[in-house]
Amino acid sequence: MKRLLVMPFLLLLTGCNIKVLDSRSDTANDQAFLIIYSFSLMLIVVLVVSILFIRFVFKYRYTEERKDNIPPDVKGNKWLETAWVIGPLLLLAILAVPTIMMTYDQSPVLSTESEQEGTSVQVTAEQFNWTFEHANGKTEQNRLVIPEGGTILLHLKSEDVIHSFWVPRLGGKVDVMPDRELVYEIKNPQIGTYEGKCAEYCGLGHTNMKFEAEVVSADEYASYLNEK
Amino acid sequence: MNRAEQALFNDKKMGFFIYLGVEAIMFAVLFATYLIFTPASNGPQPSEIFEAKTVILSSFFLLSSSGTLWLGERALKSEKQNIFLTGLGITMLFAIIFLGFEVYEFASFVREGHGMGVNVFMSSYYVLVGLHAAHVAFGIGWMAVLFVQYFRQIPLTLFTEKLSIFSYYWHFVDVVWVFIIGIVYLPYLL
Amino acid sequence: MKFTLFGVNIMLPSDVLAAWVFTLLLGAVVVFLVLKKKRLGLIWEYMVTTNHRKIGILYILFGIIYFFRAGLDALFIRTQLAFPNNDFWVFQGEKYNEVFTTHGTMMIFFVAMPLLLGLMNTVVPLQIGARDLAFPFLNAVGFWLFFFGSIFFNISFFLNMTPEIGWTGYAPLSTEQFTPGAGSDFYIFGLQISGLGTIFTALNLIVTIVRHRAPGMKMTRMPLFAWTSLITSFLILIAFTVLAIALYLLMFDRLFGAGFFSGTEGNPIYWQHLFWIFGHPEVYILALPAFGIFSDVISTFSRKRVFGYPIMVLSVALIGFLGFMVWAHHMFTVGLGPMANTFFAITTMLIAVPTGIKVFNWLFTMRLGVIRFTTPMLFSLGFIPSFVMGGVTGVMLSVSAADFQFHDTHFVVAHFHYVIIASTILGIFAGLYYWYPKITGYVLDEKLGRWHFWTFLIGFHLTFFPMHITGLEGMPRRVYTYDDSGGLAELNFMSTIGAFLMGVSMLFAIWNVYKTYKEGRKVGNDPWDGRTLEWSVASPAPEHTFDPMPVVEGIDSFWFAKSAGKKMPVTDQVRATPLEVQSILPFLIGSTLFFLSLGLTFSWYWLSILSAFILFTLLVVRSLKDEREDHYGRRK
Repeated sequence: MKRLLVMPFLLLLTGCNIKVLDSRSDTANDQAFLIIYSFSLMLIVVLVVSILFIRFVFKYRYTEERKDNIPPDVKGNKWLETAWVIGPLLLLAILAVPTIMMTYDQSPVLSTESEQEGTSVQVTAEQFNWTFEHANGKTEQNRLVIPEGGTILLHLKSEDVIHSFWVPRLGGKVDVMPDRELVYEIKNPQIGTYEGKCAEYCGLGHTNMKFEAEVVSADEYASYLNEK
Repeated sequence: MNRAEQALFNDKKMGFFIYLGVEAIMFAVLFATYLIFTPASNGPQPSEIFEAKTVILSSFFLLSSSGTLWLGERALKSEKQNIFLTGLGITMLFAIIFLGFEVYEFASFVREGHGMGVNVFMSSYYVLVGLHAAHVAFGIGWMAVLFVQYFRQIPLTLFTEKLSIFSYYWHFVDVVWVFIIGIVYLPYLL
Repeated sequence: MKFTLFGVNIMLPSDVLAAWVFTLLLGAVVVFLVLKKKRLGLIWEYMVTTNHRKIGILYILFGIIYFFRAGLDALFIRTQLAFPNNDFWVFQGEKYNEVFTTHGTMMIFFVAMPLLLGLMNTVVPLQIGARDLAFPFLNAVGFWLFFFGSIFFNISFFLNMTPEIGWTGYAPLSTEQFTPGAGSDFYIFGLQISGLGTIFTALNLIVTIVRHRAPGMKMTRMPLFAWTSLITSFLILIAFTVLAIALYLLMFDRLFGAGFFSGTEGNPIYWQHLFWIFGHPEVYILALPAFGIFSDVISTFSRKRVFGYPIMVLSVALIGFLGFMVWAHHMFTVGLGPMANTFFAITTMLIAVPTGIKVFNWLFTMRLGVIRFTTPMLFSLGFIPSFVMGGVTGVMLSVSAADFQFHDTHFVVAHFHYVIIASTILGIFAGLYYWYPKITGYVLDEKLGRWHFWTFLIGFHLTFFPMHITGLEGMPRRVYTYDDSGGLAELNFMSTIGAFLMGVSMLFAIWNVYKTYKEGRKVGNDPWDGRTLEWSVASPAPEHTFDPMPVVEGIDSFWFAKSAGKKMPVTDQVRATPLEVQSILPFLIGSTLFFLSLGLTFSWYWLSILSAFILFTLLVVRSLKDEREDHYGRRK
């Protein structure tokens, strides 16, 4: 009941600008699609259960007329039970196909196993700072500048504990591990300035371990690299 | 043993077997840990530090102690009290000798500078073999209590039960040792 | 506040000081009441008891106390997060990290676990016709280990040494290099001791359920709560053992210089594997008993047997089994590679199938029934839609590529609170209202029960529903503040109101218990028109039950006998009853482990050695005072 009251209110508040869904790269776009897709499929489940729930609770509630009613002794029903094994399985199969495709496409891999080509940036995390080193050795703290379009390859490594690299509008997160280097791809980012943050609890300064991710045109990126 | 005693004993037996299952999972995780971290990329290597002599001797004593316990248990059933006492006594003695070898082995490693924190191989070795040694030590104490119970003349059926439960424990500890030989030592001694 | 005591400078932050003052005052009141009402004997009685119902009461009592403590932590968290860039009291940075660590750890280990174990302890023997748990002494040991483990964890706060590593204790943050204080050691030993107790209790429950059922009570005739307790106990045996070893390894890392989870050769992901091989089954350890409670409650208050009993049991077993194959879905972002991510995504989705079966079977249990809206039933009805909402977000999270976005955000916080509160907490409330007469002899007030239910349910949705959106708005979990953007301020404020509403609802619960106690209206054996065996014994359940022993002839045998106007047949052919004793040893055994851990934490090795020595002495004493000696034939 009260959920139904709350929901439109929330949607009004937030509109359709939810950061994760308002994606600014192909990577984040795919993820936003998966979120909406799985949400819609799951909405079916919620609706079916809600309808049955409300109907049964209302129809079979205790009333004065039914006070002494002894219900039939139903043990079960094979057909119905089979139905709700097969139904969810089908639903999950529909969900599994894009899941598998995109998981293969997007899962972060060890740097030694990466075969992708693109603009590489070395990302080093430490308590509680981000350092970004570009191909020509240009280094900047807490500000990541990348060119639009194409593929960005982030090589992530931690100096101390586990951190997690996250720019909600450009893509999901990937953990930054102390004992291994992972590579994460961001495909086709669009120009803009986005907030990035550490998403894995890493200690005292975790909350403030933020950075700025700036996607610029290829020319600007070239001149950024040559800036002293 | 009457029916009530039998029922209570079967409860206990089942409970104890479940407990041994818990122990088995514990050791399984430690074996996994050992396999993951051995050999380590630097520091002492298993093939350099293990000595076949110590392993063979200690294994001889521990494994045959399972046999002597079994003989003792059988003697108790046929009411040969002296053989039983000798059997349990030798089991305890062998266990103490085994523990002596373990202490000697650990001490010599530490003397050579291969302590717990030297590398991950040493750490995983100590936590696994050390936990097993602790089980042997606990078993020695348990046997001592069994002797006390025997001379206190508690009901024979109850004593037989206590001895059975202990023998499950002891055989289990032996089986774990066999796995330790096979997984910890043997691959690096051959 | 700074002061000097015995020449030592002590720094006490205001929250710790407040805790001291509050605890001392409360302690004084309790001591005063106990002395005034001359109840010391009662306390002693409970310290030496090995009776299953009394131990159950102890579990429930401490579960509730810790529920308030951990709930207070939650209110601190929500107050700090009420407004963007807020500065509430001391809860920024370090203190905030401490407070979410204790909130999580306590709620899982010292609230949900004891409340469920308490209900199992009290109810399962009564449901299956056992006169006690198979090993009453071990049962007491299990409780006191839990008790001292929880106390050990709790004193850290009073010493201003609270752990700040999250309830997951991820290495290398939890290793000595990054958290050198004693806090993480309190976490390790607190969980280790109480976990050991939990393992013993699980073992005990298994033997009880397998070997102590009433004549005719086949496994296939057991109430579902007994079934779920059995399967949960198996999960506990495996999961808590893995946790024990994980903590054992972490202890060696922290105290003795080993390097399993850190350094150049250690492997931080190994901690995550071990932790989640424990941690994910733990979720089902919390949920499955609640499923059992709901099944019994829904069936009773629909006046119908459970729909599809065999498949209900099968699905619980299947959930338990699959529960061990999904742990790495907590680790999609650590780079296990596409193959592992896909595997764990698929197994996670599969769990939705047996869970879905259960939901539909509950719905069809109600169909054609006569649904009475009593408080336990209200909690069960509140559970179904709430849990489904948590379940579907679970499926969304299993979509591994989407999880890259969800992971470690408030979306996940929303998800796991939805599933755990909807199943475990609502289940515990349903169970407590339902079995309260069997535990105390009183029925809780229905009107206050409804107030409790509605305020709690509304508060719960109000708190956690907005978190789905704040998560997608980019709010990570475990941060103490946020900027005002994208509606974060409004949504967070809503959550805070909800959290306080839940707090208020608990006051109704307290008031209810007090009022019921004051009015003191005793009820008969069967206040709910129940179906299962526990309603055939007196309320509260006496120490010696089932005399004469009933013979069970089918599912819900008691109800069918009752509705046919007959009594259940009885027999005097009864298997040997477990031997109850009065002993202080379990309490002492627990306390030695407490001091042993204290010694290890502060490197007072003499204390550890002394405690270990006393512990082994106590074990010898136990062996020499074996209660069975008097029950066995003497040697000729």
